[in-house]
Formats: sequence, C-alpha cells, structure tokens
Amino acid sequence: MEAMALRVGVAGIGWSGFSRTTEGTSYKELMFEAARSAYADAGVDPRSDIDSFVCCSEDIEEGTSIFDEYVPDQLGAVQRPVQTVASDGLFGVATAVMLIRSGVASAVAVESHSKASDVVSLGRVDRFAMDPVLNRPLGVSPTALAGLEMRRWLHVTGRSESECADVAARNRAHAATNRRASYADVHDPTPLFDPLTREQTAEPADGCVVLVLTTEERTPEGSVFIDGVGWSQDAPSVESRDWDRAAAAERAARAAYDRAGVEPGDVELAEVDDTFAYKQLQHLEALGLSDLAEDRVNPSGGALGEGHLREANGLARALACIEGLRSGDARVGLAQSWRGVPSTSAAVAVMRR
Amino acid sequence: MSPRVAVVGAGMSRFVRRAQETGKELSWIATREALASCELKLDDVDAVCLTSAPDAFDGVHRKGDYLADGAGAWAKPYMRTYVGGGSGVFTAIQGWYTVASGLADVVVCVAEEKMSSCQPHPQGAFLTIFDNILERPLGPNLLWIFALEMQRYMQAYGLDKRDIAQVAVKNKRNAAEHPAALLGQADITVEDVLGSETLAWPVQRLDVSPISDGAVAIVMASEDAAKRLTDRPVWIQGVGWNLDTTYWTNRDLAYPEYVENAARMAYGMAGVNEPRKEIQVAEPYDPFDYKELHHLEGLLLFDRGKAPEAAADGVTARDGDLPCCPSGGLLGVGNPIAAAGLMKIAELFWQLRGEAGARQVPGTPERGVAQAWGDLMQVGTVVVMGNGGGPLATATQSPPFAPRATSLSDQEFRSATGAVEQRLDTRYEWDPGEAIGAVLDGLREQRILATTCISCGRTLVPARKFCERCFRPTDGWTEVPHTGTVETFSICHVTWDMRPLDEPQIPAVIRLDGTSEGGFLHLVGEVAPDDVRAGMQVEAVWKPAGERVGSILDIEYFRPLEPELRRELVAVAAVELPVEIAP
Repeated sequence: MEAMALRVGVAGIGWSGFSRTTEGTSYKELMFEAARSAYADAGVDPRSDIDSFVCCSEDIEEGTSIFDEYVPDQLGAVQRPVQTVASDGLFGVATAVMLIRSGVASAVAVESHSKASDVVSLGRVDRFAMDPVLNRPLGVSPTALAGLEMRRWLHVTGRSESECADVAARNRAHAATNRRASYADVHDPTPLFDPLTREQTAEPADGCVVLVLTTEERTPEGSVFIDGVGWSQDAPSVESRDWDRAAAAERAARAAYDRAGVEPGDVELAEVDDTFAYKQLQHLEALGLSDLAEDRVNPSGGALGEGHLREANGLARALACIEGLRSGDARVGLAQSWRGVPSTSAAVAVMRR
Repeated sequence: MSPRVAVVGAGMSRFVRRAQETGKELSWIATREALASCELKLDDVDAVCLTSAPDAFDGVHRKGDYLADGAGAWAKPYMRTYVGGGSGVFTAIQGWYTVASGLADVVVCVAEEKMSSCQPHPQGAFLTIFDNILERPLGPNLLWIFALEMQRYMQAYGLDKRDIAQVAVKNKRNAAEHPAALLGQADITVEDVLGSETLAWPVQRLDVSPISDGAVAIVMASEDAAKRLTDRPVWIQGVGWNLDTTYWTNRDLAYPEYVENAARMAYGMAGVNEPRKEIQVAEPYDPFDYKELHHLEGLLLFDRGKAPEAAADGVTARDGDLPCCPSGGLLGVGNPIAAAGLMKIAELFWQLRGEAGARQVPGTPERGVAQAWGDLMQVGTVVVMGNGGGPLATATQSPPFAPRATSLSDQEFRSATGAVEQRLDTRYEWDPGEAIGAVLDGLREQRILATTCISCGRTLVPARKFCERCFRPTDGWTEVPHTGTVETFSICHVTWDMRPLDEPQIPAVIRLDGTSEGGFLHLVGEVAPDDVRAGMQVEAVWKPAGERVGSILDIEYFRPLEPELRRELVAVAAVELPVEIAP
C-alpha cells in the first residue's frame, strides 16, 4: 500500500456540549458553537475558506430521514459541497483525507455530534441495527452482544474481569482532570450483561466536535498532521463474525500504520475506543499497543469518562489525541474508533506533530 | 490536477416494484454483474463505496453496515455516503475520490434501494424528512413539496401540463429498450399522462416515478489499472456537489441554484467552458417529469424556462441534438432511489463505449453528464464523464444483459413465508433550542417572531440564532405581520400512503409581509380550491387563546385576505388508486 506522500494537517479543532444533557440547546445550536470555535482556531471563514463539509450521522439516531438536509446552515456550508458519511466521525476524517489528497478540496470541515438526550428510546435505536429476520425477534438487547463478546474474549485470552474493572477505574481517574468528562465518578459494579458491569459501560452524553483539515501548504507550522488512516469491518451477521479478536481494528490499524510509515512501537499516545472497558484491552491488542504505558492510553478518560457520544466517539478520541500532541506530550499519536454494538466497523488515524 | 480515474465496469439488477430478494441479495446481484463485466474478482477490489437512501426503507438502523457483505465489502475498507436522492450519483464521486486520493486502485461502488419493505407505504420513510418542530405537525408528505415546486416552475415560466407531460412520454418510450426497466412503454402518449389520476395538483400519477426495488454497481480504477483492464475506459472528468440551505421555504423554487453550483464545479474540473457544445448526452435526474426540465436548466444546458420548448422540438429525444435520459431515466427504468442515480452513471458508461445497443445515441458522443438531486429540494450531485474521443464499439445487444430480480405481486408479497413485521418504535423529544423555543412562545401569544441579521439586512423567518449566509449570530428579534402571499400551493387529493381524501388539503408556501424572502409551510383554508392562486394575499387564522400551546398549529390555517374569496371548503370526487399502480 502506498505511503501517504501528500500530507493532511489539522488546522483547527472545536467542540461543544460534552455533558449528560444539553437542555435548552438544539442540535443545530450545538453544532454552530463547535463549528465557530473550530473555524476560529483555524483562523478561517467557512463561507470562503472551506471547500468541503463532511458530517457523520445516521438518520434513526437523529429521528430525521435524510439528515443532511438539516446540517448546512449551522456549519456555514450553505450552497457548498456537503455530504453525510453514515458512520463514526473517524470515517469522516478518512473521507476528508481522501478529498484533500484527490485535489478536490484544500480545506475540509468534519463534524459529528451526539444529541443522545433528544432520544427517549436509545436502546430501541440500537436494537433496530440488528438483523431484522434472525436476531431482532429474539428480543435480546444489542448490548448483550458486548457481554457475549467479553465472555469469549476473557476465555480466549485468559485475561480477567478484574483487569477490565481496572481499566474502568483508571479511565475514570484520568477523567477527573478532563473538563469534557461527565462520568468521572461512576463506581457501580452491578452486572448488566454479565460479565459486563455498569461501571465498565460508557453512558450516553451530548456533544459535538468539528475538525478543520487542510493541505500541508495551508496547515500552520507546528500543527498536528493526520499521516495515516485506515478503516474496515467484519461480517455484519452476528453468526459469522470473528468473536475472538477485533479483526476490523487490526486491519484498519495495519493500513493506517503503513500509510503513515510508522510501527506500533513508535506510538506515544493512544486514544482508543473504550465504550466497554474490555474493548480498550482488546483494541490495544489489535493495534499492537498492549505494551504502551497506562498513562499514555486514554489520558482523557475515554468514553468511560467523557460519555458515549454515539457517532461522535471517534472524533472525541481524535480531539483528545490532537490536544495531547499539541501540548507536546507526545510526537506520534493514534486515535481509534468502533461503531459500537452490533457493528464491527472500526477506523484508525495515526497522527504526528 | 487530480489523478485520472475511470469507470471500467457496470452491472445492475432488474428494477421491480417488489423484489423477492433482500437488499443484500440485490446488492450482490449488481456487484457480481459489475465485476463480471470487466472480468474482475472480489480479491482484485481494494475498497467498496456504498450508498442507499433513507434507512427507514429497509427498516434497519446503520444499513450501510447491514449491507456490507452483499456489496462484497467483507473485511475491506468500506464506507456508506449519503445525500438523500442525490446519493446514487454521489457514490460515483465517492469512488472517484477514493481512487484519486491514491488510497485505492480498484473500487466497487454499489447503490442499493429496497423500498418495498416499508409499510403500509414507502412514502412513510419521507414523513420524517420535514422540520421536526415547525413542519411535521402539519402532516406534510413528499408529494406536497414536489407539487409546490412543480407549480412554482410552471407559474414562473407560464408552462402548462402538456409541456411537462412530454418528458414522461419520452422517457417511458426510451425505457422500452432497457432490459432492466420496470416502466418501459413504447406506445404511451401525452394524453395518457394528462388523463392519469390527480394526486396533488399539478402532480398526476404518470408524472411520478413510483417506488421500486433494485441495485446498481460500477467498477472504478486508477489510470494504470484502467488501462490494464480495458481498451475503452470511460474517464471521470469532473465531479461536483452542492447543498442549499435547510430553509427551503426561503428560496425561489423555480430554479435549482444548487444544481447550477454543482454543475459549475464539475464543468470547471472537466475543463468544460461551453456545456451546450461540449456535452453530447445527458442523464438528468427525473423522479418527476418536470424535474428533468428543471435540472437541464440548472445544468446550464438550456436557458431558464426554455427546456420544455427544446423538448417539444425533439432536441432531448434519443436521436435529438442533446439526447436526455436515453436510458429511460427514473420515469422509465424505475426509481429505487440511490440505485436509480447510479443507473445514470452506468448508462453514460455504456453510451460512451458505444455499447448501449438499441438505446445507443447516434454519432460519436465523447462526453456526457449525469446528475441527481434530493433532500428538501436542496442538493445537486453532478458527474461529467468522457471517452477522450476513443473508438466506440458497435453493440447489437443492449446492456444490462439478462438482469435479475424476482418481482412479487402485492398478494405474493403478503403471503410469503416468514414475512417479519416490525415497527420502528423509537421516541424523540427534541430540544427546540433558543431560537425556535422563542418562536413557539410567540405563537402561543399570537405573535410571529423573526430574527434579523444586520450584516445582510434580512429578516429571518423561520427565526434562527445565526445567519446561515453571513455565519454570525443574529442581531435581534422583531415581530412580523400575520399576513402574506401564497408563493406556491398544491391541491392534494390523496394521503401520504395513497388513500383518497374527501376534502382536498391545500398546502402552500406563505411569504410573510415585512420579510424579503421569509416564510413557511402551512395550509390554506376557507377557500374553493379553484380560486387559489400563486400571489394570493392571505392572513393567519389563529386558534383561541386558551387553545394555543406553543406550536405551528396555533395558526389553524391561512385564509384569503379578500373576504369575497372566502367560502366553505367543497368536497371533491375522491381519487382511488389500486395498490399495484399507486406511485
């Protein structure tokens, strides 16, 4: 696979919300706030300086069919190229990288948000992602799939439930100093889908992240660059997927490392999917990062600390990684996402400063 | 300059009203045909691009993930993009940038639509496209907005239904030569279209392409790979896409500016300066007959309001100077939404290789344009393709060859073993936010509130917290009069699921006095349907104070300002539509 000679930089970052609810603020207003701060950070006017806009969302999550109808105004994207990527925000980052490398855009805004507090029946939304004929009639919660997968993963790897509990405790401790974290203080070992407990499960939050990505020429000196992206998935059917490992994250990571020309040993900071505590350990294995020092993994507190931001989880991880690299804490960072049950889709971005 | 990317293969399922096949199976049929057409195996494919329109059709949340294996994407880089009805053409743009970025050499683009699963009528998936707070309480459906736009287009240029209906006739006749077509009809006449049932005036049954199931796939390759794979690659010369404001009631529906913006982007990239001379074949988006005309103007291929005249002169016929929809388009081949858009790209691929057989346009076409459209009459997607003047084949057969998909009658569909009935039983409680929250409070107090932007000088209805043009916070609140002008209207005879209405509904876009372009969707009442006119002055009729709750329904309807035009609504003859022919 060809290394990415044309580099894509992060010119601006912005966010809003990151709380359990954002009462009184509409999703449009939430997006407007995040977009304004990203454009200010990048020093750009979206009406003239951004060539393309990528929003990552799913209709049923929003309660609106064809949700891209409702995005352009609050992003400064009216009468401009706008598209939906029906996936997690890191897939949007990969899309922005492709748009810039193809030459069709030199600056792209990537947006994803969660307004989970608008959805009264989140569990039913997730359930509707299950196979309609074979799985849904069984009436089992999609989150039970995480319990099944955790059990299998413990069995195959010989790791323990207490290691998973340690991940949850550590991430929530990391979250204590993160102003975006709303769930730093959850300590509840109640089993939900045994062996999965409540404290090992990320809980919903509202928030929006906007990134401005640019060509190397348009990226200010000293910025963070997205040097590798990868994305993949496993079998959609629950019955035929690989239950022993995070196969899609492995493939996504391989592609991202190759494109960035780095090896796992070069990574100094990782913000990885931890929407369930065992997934952090499983994902670190898939990324080849099991030996990375504990304080270098999800120093933000991850989704366990910040909350589950639905399709914005990947951008939340990317945001924390970019901030870490900007602060000088690390030179090479990695952000990884997984779309959550019952999906197998995963994406990886390798970044350098 | 961007790296060159070519289309090297195409395949599709048959378009049918109700397919026995699942969405995954339809995707598989199309993907397999596309790969076979260029003698490739799945192992040769680096990435898969997928599109499909609203998730509600398939009844599956995250349906991109669900369709992955059918699209040949297992364990491959795979992503679903989505821009409503514009999606089918957009997935070719997605394929283009995936290859042009250097991240893949060979990609498959798949567009799937299985609408028939959505019951009692697939139009149900469109009930939730409208604004959750200001529009959905009025009960709008998709026919309303098409009727409102068609009426505005006809009124702006003084067109009548005959000018429009000829497009349906041309495309259904063209489709008679398309092996995958659902609606081909060699002997259809303008009188047939004008005599078909009125759904929502001016929209009649044969003006509309009905719901359908189907899938289309194409194979795209980098320059090196394309030259290795075929002697006759068809190059993607330009791509463009553009999304207009959400506030559709604020724009002039007579002309699709966003299509023009997308076309200019694509023409610019393709180096096309004079599209009328440099484009030899066009596949504009035609889910309704007027849309082909509307889009040909947006594509700058005809002057505004002049496409109907050109169509009447035969310019857009398959053997005319600028053949439009030689495939038969959506009106003829069928309208499985995303798939229908990619079908247009497949048609240009076949036309520009000289392989279209009985559908082949005359001469030696070098360049074509495909376009799709969607959302709240809001998005344009455009692709310019060309063969670089390479030699054309002389095909005697018309592709796609023996396209598959099994068509079920309504009765067969309902009696099939194991049909699974499920409801999307989700609930939402949307925060109206600061701006719309204040508007709702105002309505309860019998006031229509707007915000203002001092930068562009506009008074904004519906009110918003930020000006979308200037991208800055708005400056203050103002109250606007309760009177306005009917910008466009429709007389609706059927419900969203095609049941007859005893009393017609009259939705209208009302432009409020005291605003330059501000307005919203509402209903007109206390008027005879025949008396409603674009430009008519109307006033709001409010619910009594005790019944107002802070809702768009606090205004019951708008009635004529002139008292002599006011009357009880008259019942009209109900329009009955048999299930097998209802759009």
